[in-house]
Amino acid sequence: MDAGDAVVRAGSSTLTPSSRPRVGPILPAVSLALACGLLGPVGLAAQQDDGRQHFETLCVVCHTVGGGTLIGPDLRGVEDRRSEDWIIRFVQSSQQMVSAGDSTAVALFEEYGSILMPDAPLTDAEIRSVIAYTSQGEALAAAPAPDATAEQVVHGQDLFQGTARFSNGGPTCGSCHDVANDAVIGGGVLAAELTTVFSRLGGPGVRAILGSPPFPVMQQAYMHRPLTDDEVVSLVGFLQKADEEQALHQPRAYGIALFGSGVVGAALLMGLFSLTWRGRKRGSVNQEIFDRQIRSS
Amino acid sequence: MDVRSQISMVFHLDKCIGCHTCSIACKNIWTDRKGAEYMWWNNVETKPGTGYPGKWEDQDIYKGGWEKDGDSIKLKGAGKPKSLTNIFHNPHMPVIDDYYEPFTYKYLDLIESAAGDVQPTARPISMITGEPMDIKMGPNWDDDLSGSPDYARNDPNLKKLSPAEQEAMFEMERMAFFYLPRICNHCLNPACVAACPSGAIYKRGEDGVVLINQDVCRGWRMCVTACPYKKTYYNWSTGKSEKCILCYPRIETGQAPACMHSCVGRIRYLGVMLYDADQIEAVASADEVDVVRRQMEMILDPFDPDVIAAAKANGVADSTIDSAQKSPTYKFVKEWNLALPLHPEFRTLPMLFYVPPLLPVMASVTDVDHTEQSRKINPVGKHWPDSWLYDTTTEELFGTIDDSRFPLEYMASLFSAGDTTAVADRIKKLMAVRLHRRQETVGDVKENTVAEALADTHLTPEVADAIYYLTSLATFDDRFVIPAAHREQAIEMIEFTGDTKGATGFGFMAGSAQRGA
Repeated sequence: MDAGDAVVRAGSSTLTPSSRPRVGPILPAVSLALACGLLGPVGLAAQQDDGRQHFETLCVVCHTVGGGTLIGPDLRGVEDRRSEDWIIRFVQSSQQMVSAGDSTAVALFEEYGSILMPDAPLTDAEIRSVIAYTSQGEALAAAPAPDATAEQVVHGQDLFQGTARFSNGGPTCGSCHDVANDAVIGGGVLAAELTTVFSRLGGPGVRAILGSPPFPVMQQAYMHRPLTDDEVVSLVGFLQKADEEQALHQPRAYGIALFGSGVVGAALLMGLFSLTWRGRKRGSVNQEIFDRQIRSS
Repeated sequence: MDVRSQISMVFHLDKCIGCHTCSIACKNIWTDRKGAEYMWWNNVETKPGTGYPGKWEDQDIYKGGWEKDGDSIKLKGAGKPKSLTNIFHNPHMPVIDDYYEPFTYKYLDLIESAAGDVQPTARPISMITGEPMDIKMGPNWDDDLSGSPDYARNDPNLKKLSPAEQEAMFEMERMAFFYLPRICNHCLNPACVAACPSGAIYKRGEDGVVLINQDVCRGWRMCVTACPYKKTYYNWSTGKSEKCILCYPRIETGQAPACMHSCVGRIRYLGVMLYDADQIEAVASADEVDVVRRQMEMILDPFDPDVIAAAKANGVADSTIDSAQKSPTYKFVKEWNLALPLHPEFRTLPMLFYVPPLLPVMASVTDVDHTEQSRKINPVGKHWPDSWLYDTTTEELFGTIDDSRFPLEYMASLFSAGDTTAVADRIKKLMAVRLHRRQETVGDVKENTVAEALADTHLTPEVADAIYYLTSLATFDDRFVIPAAHREQAIEMIEFTGDTKGATGFGFMAGSAQRGA
């Protein structure tokens, strides 16, 4: 019996960690929705507070309210321009809508440089709370990011090349990306070339991508190993510097000349070897005899 | 005086019949293994000929041996800078085709083939690849002057002869050959030892046998280049070099090496000689014509009390000194001055000596009238259409040595670095002994001819008889005087045997765990 008890207890204890988080978010969401409907103004305040939290973690890096276009459009009056249902579907998966051929979604995607908007892991109610927060008329924008110091730029370069590790253990940028800069030797070719990314996307844009990557591979890579704020600042600083210096730093692409010089060099070496060892013994001393012999095949 | 003992050999070439029994005895004991198929630690060559591996005597090709460098000597094809620059590819080595691709035959096809219209044949099979092959070459391909336009005429020793002399050697009626059996010379100044980058080759202190430590050898093959006699071989299977070990397990147990034991013509002699190791460098660096003489001087008289005292002081055992006094090689080489080393100009001071061949007996072709003779012969018998006679009888014995069928220059190129008088001296002695014995047993030689011959070569009838005895009548124990090996002392010089006493049981080189106990 003792053994049986132990099994039951062990079983229940192993269930606990996986089941609890699943129940966790649903219950507060339901109660929040109930509270919103029943409690009126008090519920609205709570809803707006929740919305602010989500807006600040997920949206503010790319969007403003009344602050102008950043990466994505200014969200002032979005609740009037689009239906709530459309907004919820777009926020949850914009790409699904683009590939489904929603004309508004396609137009938006193309207007904003075909930059993917990451799918927000939010429920319908949570998105409504965000809308409630942004539609209150107050202008909202991310606090201006601090400029990188000289040390941070150097640190950013190290982080990019992998000579310094990310504190959460994320993969180094250089394994997939390259930057044309004298300081960087041989970046990766798996992902976009980032020399002019700063002027293309601007500081906030780069920061936004680093904060919550919209690209599936990058998302997976940094999901559990996010960059710290300091690292983001350092990397943005380095990318800005690389962008500014790009006219001066153009590592030469040798192309076929590199291969050609290898061939010529090898030929020269071979020539030198055969000259140095010109007195070497070549083949058998009896070769002349063997050449005359009749072979069976 | 640094007196050391050296096991040395004498091969009496007049007695060699070229049967290759020595080669087979050696092959069956030592080189009948994978990777060693092509090796013949002992081989027998026909001279003139290019030998095995082809043209091994031509050091312009193989860069073996030493060359003079000011007052000293240096290795011709190896040594530190040369070894370093050639360490990954040594360009002067013989390739397998210089030896020969070893082969066997598919004998089972002869007895296992299905019945058919044609007789089955045993195809030759390469012992390296296992595939059927065309035999291109063998280790004695030029035996008995076969293929002489290719082999005999390319003998490197002919270089010193004028074209006319060379032509004369290959005239049908003058054509002659002799056999040259070769093993490792266990040199006093071995080039292989000097060339080894791993320090794997060593000359055994107690008897001078040159050995390659198979645990230390790293297969750089510098020894293969360095040995001018091409008597170290690379085993392609083990990746190590190997060479003649003078059957040291047999010598240590008092038996003659297999090649010597099996010798049909009883041409081989083995014995200890004492020599002065202090002189090695000076002798090896001497002028080319002096090397042989100086090497002979280096060999010490084992009866000299000073030599005996110095030998004892150097740790040479009494039994070794005793066998040096009875050594047949000392008699041939030093006492009677009958033997010479092979190619002393390589400066390795080889300790295998050859009594040069007196045969072929000098002959001349004279014009004679055959008609009288032919009349006696039955009409169906052989009638010689020409009128010359191949005449082996001579009036002037020593006169004919100079125009013997083998020019003295050729012999001198082989055995005395070009010094024809050294070769002539020895051949005259052999002839004097022969005359003396002819007079003793048949009595048809003029007495003053014999007396002149002996006096001219500084031989007494007693010494001539002693030479005759050791050449023709000697017993097994006369030909091989092998000293006790004293391995126990030799081991104790290297390691303290007390370390393993009482600890390991049977066998002491490997611990019990290594032996799987």
